[in-house]
Amino acid sequence: MFKTVLRRGTAAAILTLGLGGAAMAAECIAPANPGGGWDFTCRSIGKIMFDIGAVDAPIQVTNMAGGGGGLAFSHVVNERNDDADLIVAASSATATRLAQNAYGGATSDQVRFLGAIGADPGVIVVANDSPHQSLTDLIDAIKADPSSVTFAGGSAAGGFDHLKVLMALGRAGFDDVRAVKYIGVDGGADAITQTIGGFTQAMTGDISEVVGFLKSGDVRVLASFTEERIPGFEDIPTAKEQGIDVVAVNWRGLYVPKGISDDDYQKWSDALAQVGASDAWAEQMAANGLAPFNRVGDDFQAYVDGVIGEIQTLSREIGVIQ
Amino acid sequence: MSDRIFGLIMICVAAGYIATATQIQTGFISDPVGPKTFPYIVGCVVILCSIMILIKPDTEPEWPALMTFGRLLIAVVVLAGYAMTLRPLGFLLPTAVAAGVISYQISPRAGPAAITGVGLSVGLFVIFKYVLGLGLFAVPREWLG
Amino acid sequence: METLSLLADGFAVALTPNTLFLAVVGCFLGTIIGALPGLGPSNGVALLIPLAFSLGLGATESLVLMTSVYYGAMYGGRISSILLNIPGDEPALMTTLDGYPMAKQGRAGDALVLSGVASFVGAFLATIGLMLLAPMLARVAFLFGPAEYFALYMLAFCTLGGIASNNQAKAAIAACIGLGIAMIGLDNSTGLPRFTFGELHLMDGVDFLVAIVGLFAVTEVFVFIESHGRSSAIGVTLGKITIPFRDIGRSMVSMLRSTVVGFVAGILPGAGASLGSFLAYMSEKSLVRDNHFGKGDPRGVAAPEAGNNAAAGGALVPMLTLGVPGSGTTAVLLALLLTLNITPGPLLFTERPEVVWGLMASLLIANFVLLVMNVPMVKIFVKILTVPPWVLLPMVTMISFVGIFSLSGSTFDLLLMIGFGVLGFFFRKLDVPTVPIILGILLGNDMEDSLRRAMTISDGDPTYLFSSWIAIVLWVAAVLGFVAPMFLRGVLKKPQAVTD
Repeated sequence: MFKTVLRRGTAAAILTLGLGGAAMAAECIAPANPGGGWDFTCRSIGKIMFDIGAVDAPIQVTNMAGGGGGLAFSHVVNERNDDADLIVAASSATATRLAQNAYGGATSDQVRFLGAIGADPGVIVVANDSPHQSLTDLIDAIKADPSSVTFAGGSAAGGFDHLKVLMALGRAGFDDVRAVKYIGVDGGADAITQTIGGFTQAMTGDISEVVGFLKSGDVRVLASFTEERIPGFEDIPTAKEQGIDVVAVNWRGLYVPKGISDDDYQKWSDALAQVGASDAWAEQMAANGLAPFNRVGDDFQAYVDGVIGEIQTLSREIGVIQ
Repeated sequence: MSDRIFGLIMICVAAGYIATATQIQTGFISDPVGPKTFPYIVGCVVILCSIMILIKPDTEPEWPALMTFGRLLIAVVVLAGYAMTLRPLGFLLPTAVAAGVISYQISPRAGPAAITGVGLSVGLFVIFKYVLGLGLFAVPREWLG
Repeated sequence: METLSLLADGFAVALTPNTLFLAVVGCFLGTIIGALPGLGPSNGVALLIPLAFSLGLGATESLVLMTSVYYGAMYGGRISSILLNIPGDEPALMTTLDGYPMAKQGRAGDALVLSGVASFVGAFLATIGLMLLAPMLARVAFLFGPAEYFALYMLAFCTLGGIASNNQAKAAIAACIGLGIAMIGLDNSTGLPRFTFGELHLMDGVDFLVAIVGLFAVTEVFVFIESHGRSSAIGVTLGKITIPFRDIGRSMVSMLRSTVVGFVAGILPGAGASLGSFLAYMSEKSLVRDNHFGKGDPRGVAAPEAGNNAAAGGALVPMLTLGVPGSGTTAVLLALLLTLNITPGPLLFTERPEVVWGLMASLLIANFVLLVMNVPMVKIFVKILTVPPWVLLPMVTMISFVGIFSLSGSTFDLLLMIGFGVLGFFFRKLDVPTVPIILGILLGNDMEDSLRRAMTISDGDPTYLFSSWIAIVLWVAAVLGFVAPMFLRGVLKKPQAVTD
């Protein structure tokens, strides 16, 4: 029952926002409202693709918010499985939700992952007047008294921002996940506001969400969850340097419908690779604090499968899923 | 009397709401309040207020005649039909029919109602599609190939 | 002085024939979009973003166009509220309470002019406030944590008591219905669904626009079919349209106070324009003596309009300085800025002054264009009431359907909207106010989330809710707002019975 209703509704959504008329242009679905990471992916990648001539017509961006990306996912799987003119924004959050079976039974093999050409490194941030000077400081404080620290993040409990904290604590030998206090608020900027206001002691998010506040001196970044220090932010130590071996980046990428031909898939991955190599994209990355991350085509599909497996194991370990 | 019925219905709705709330899944990590508390509070406040209404109802409202209820029912059915056909049949036809029927319900003259229906259908389509740029389809999408 | 020279630079960027033309177009389109039930400011701005790009507009031009549409829609929402008792968008909700009774008395023109002036006062002063104080006001957001927000929402609900109904129990039930509906969907804290019955369409909850259009527009159609329009404003003989200087003068104090209330509500990312207009209306209702709010008091029109337009300006403070959008509309504006490669945040004012001051200048331009455009346009708008009802009502219905359909494209939402229409019809018969339902849907999730976040932070210690002076002040106001009407009603009972 719900599938028919869903199908009716989502297909109709395409009618909206001026897309009905322009059937020729390719479309990028951002499975969220304007302003977020997915929206950014569609808009900037779509724009650059056209600017550098990788596609012939400007790419239309459709926002299809719902079910944390689930609505767009089922729409693609059920309605447009062979639409070669469609790309959909994805990120680590997509993988996390697929791993945790949060898309109503949908699985990652129902679409083809195209590639990611940038990644937003995960960070742990505290207000400038916080007593905690390093990630190990913060973790020691939690070990001593778990209720003394509340984390704020932009995802719901069990989401990617929350998992990053739990992973870090797990590596540091603290396993009582239920004792870790986390509040999910509406996006990274909100989380950081609460942290600067002193209502929460630390914020978990992505570097792009904190760049402005970092430059203005309102916050300090305790650690980035990257292999190497982030280009442009060399004074931020990685978690790894501090003995906490967690790498968690929020990659920004795309998937396409499963049913398109290999030629079309190749066409899109070439276009994406071109964007990844362009100067315009390099500028966008620098402006938004994205770190280089280049995996396009089958290599990326394998990477996503691996990540989903990892998150599944982790989520099961900490009890997010049964 | 009406208020008493309303109060009873609201008590039933609230009870059903609370019963549904007991079935809410609790996450693996629950906050001290949890996902059920707030629905419980809301349900209980409704029950309390409904009891107050049962005890002290307002004066009886003026209900329409049975005939009028019939006309209202027709309007609801037509609107529901409109909602269901807007997508499969395109904009023009369902809009003309629905607007015409609503117009007839208000002023039972067939001629002006029909003109209203067709006029609104075409006029609104032009405005929505070409001035505001909404992606509407005039006719079923299959016809467009 | 520095501010002035910066603003002059802003005007130099924003005030060209080209941008002025865009401002006029934007204001006009925005007013229309705002007036159409179902299409609100956020959708208006969202619909027009592609337009800005297809026209190849630069950053300043795009900003001017968008802010004009944004403010235009805030202005426009009042039109259908006053003329048809159907709020064009959620911040215009409160304007129905006194605007429509005024129209029924044949004073639709007065109400429209007055609300236009009030909108201007609210928006203009808010823009000035934004210019002078934005970087400083940004700090206000840091003072509001979950406990303070919860107290603020409690204040809103506690003052609901006497709204548009004489029965507080019914108002409370209505608010609870709204809150109950707000619980539908994915729970923000756990990410698990509640009350969705496996229906994917309910995962994101019930859109308040569906509820507004259902409870107001669709209900209005039913009421009309029942009564043949005996009790509506349509067909009422209209007086000559003049500028109601007396009403404007009498409402000036209300406008100014409401501007402050609205602006403060706008600055708080968790409150926004709807709460701004609501609090403005409720505070005026309690402050103005011998008022007849709810029965066509001009001050009841001026207050919410000044409030919601001031809130719209205020909402730009957290959006520009923190990157936190306080409302759906500012979220879309934020998206626009990001696409233009402008990242709002604490450094925007120092790093990109030309953008900020260009924006301020375009806001001022939009304000003046709207004022100049709106007063003469009133003459055209009131003509709506001379359209025969058997044309007007089907038209309103169809516009509502297309408005809702174009947002979600969902048949499910349309059916839900009809359901709300039926509910609204019975509620109106039973004298159950519908405004609290909308308020419940709008604020329910935020209210619950703030309570749960507060309790997470404090490990379930309820005293945390009263741990700051801001929270305490809000709680005191909430208790007063709840208790005062009960006593006042007792005191005022006799004189009221006489005037009735």
